[in-house]
Amino acid sequence: MAPKSKTTEKAVAAKKAVVKGIHGKKVTKIRTSTTFHRPKTLRLPRSPKYQRKSIPHAPRLDQYKVIIGPHSNESTMKKLEESNTIVFTVDIKANKRHIKDAFKSLYNVDVAKVTTLITPTGSKKAYIRLTSENDVLDVANRVGFI
Amino acid sequence: MPGVKAYTLREKSKADLEAQLVELKQELASLRAQKARGASATNLVRMHTVRKSIARVLTIINQQQRAQLRLFYKGKKYIPLDLRVKKTRAQRRQLTKHQKSLKTEKEKKKSIAFPQRKYALKA
Repeated sequence: MAPKSKTTEKAVAAKKAVVKGIHGKKVTKIRTSTTFHRPKTLRLPRSPKYQRKSIPHAPRLDQYKVIIGPHSNESTMKKLEESNTIVFTVDIKANKRHIKDAFKSLYNVDVAKVTTLITPTGSKKAYIRLTSENDVLDVANRVGFI
Repeated sequence: MPGVKAYTLREKSKADLEAQLVELKQELASLRAQKARGASATNLVRMHTVRKSIARVLTIINQQQRAQLRLFYKGKKYIPLDLRVKKTRAQRRQLTKHQKSLKTEKEKKKSIAFPQRKYALKA
């Protein structure tokens, strides 16, 4: 073959364009399944340009809000002496974990378990049982129970 | 005791204020316990002052934080929404003063070529 010059190349390309047309070959994907699944696209995490709230709020249910005050009547006194349990009125939104942590941090005692109930008047009562090594009466005095 | 005063609180640092807050909350808790036992009138009155003191301390903490933040964001393009001007929703969506004052080239030329004339009658 004679070395191709630019003019012959041009001529060949022109011929091809006339014969085959100038549109390229259409490439279709091979589909191996009859169902169409949504293709997974890029999901970026948020990177806000500014905080929406200027100051994030302090925890709304802190230990002082959780525990409201001791609840005292004859049956609670009985529980105090017999089952090492102290009874407290507690915020309704608090759960047993909240109550346990709040009590521990406020009065520095170990809590064995907490049982709760919501009274007919709408307040929450927590029966806080202390571990056997703790003296309930001592705690009660500190709290201001007795 | 009449409770804390705002002007004394404003001089305190953030750590001091938070410590004071904890103190006040503890006092409130003990007062509540006393109330459960049956408290004297003075204690019940004290509860009111303590609650308001707590509110005062929190207000000042917040005010100081916000003031600091406003300084921080001064001149920046994007500000947190609660630091932006509040007005009303409709007013925020109105054209700005500058935008209202804009004139087309045509209008500008007209106002130069044909300004409002003032006439006076000779008495």
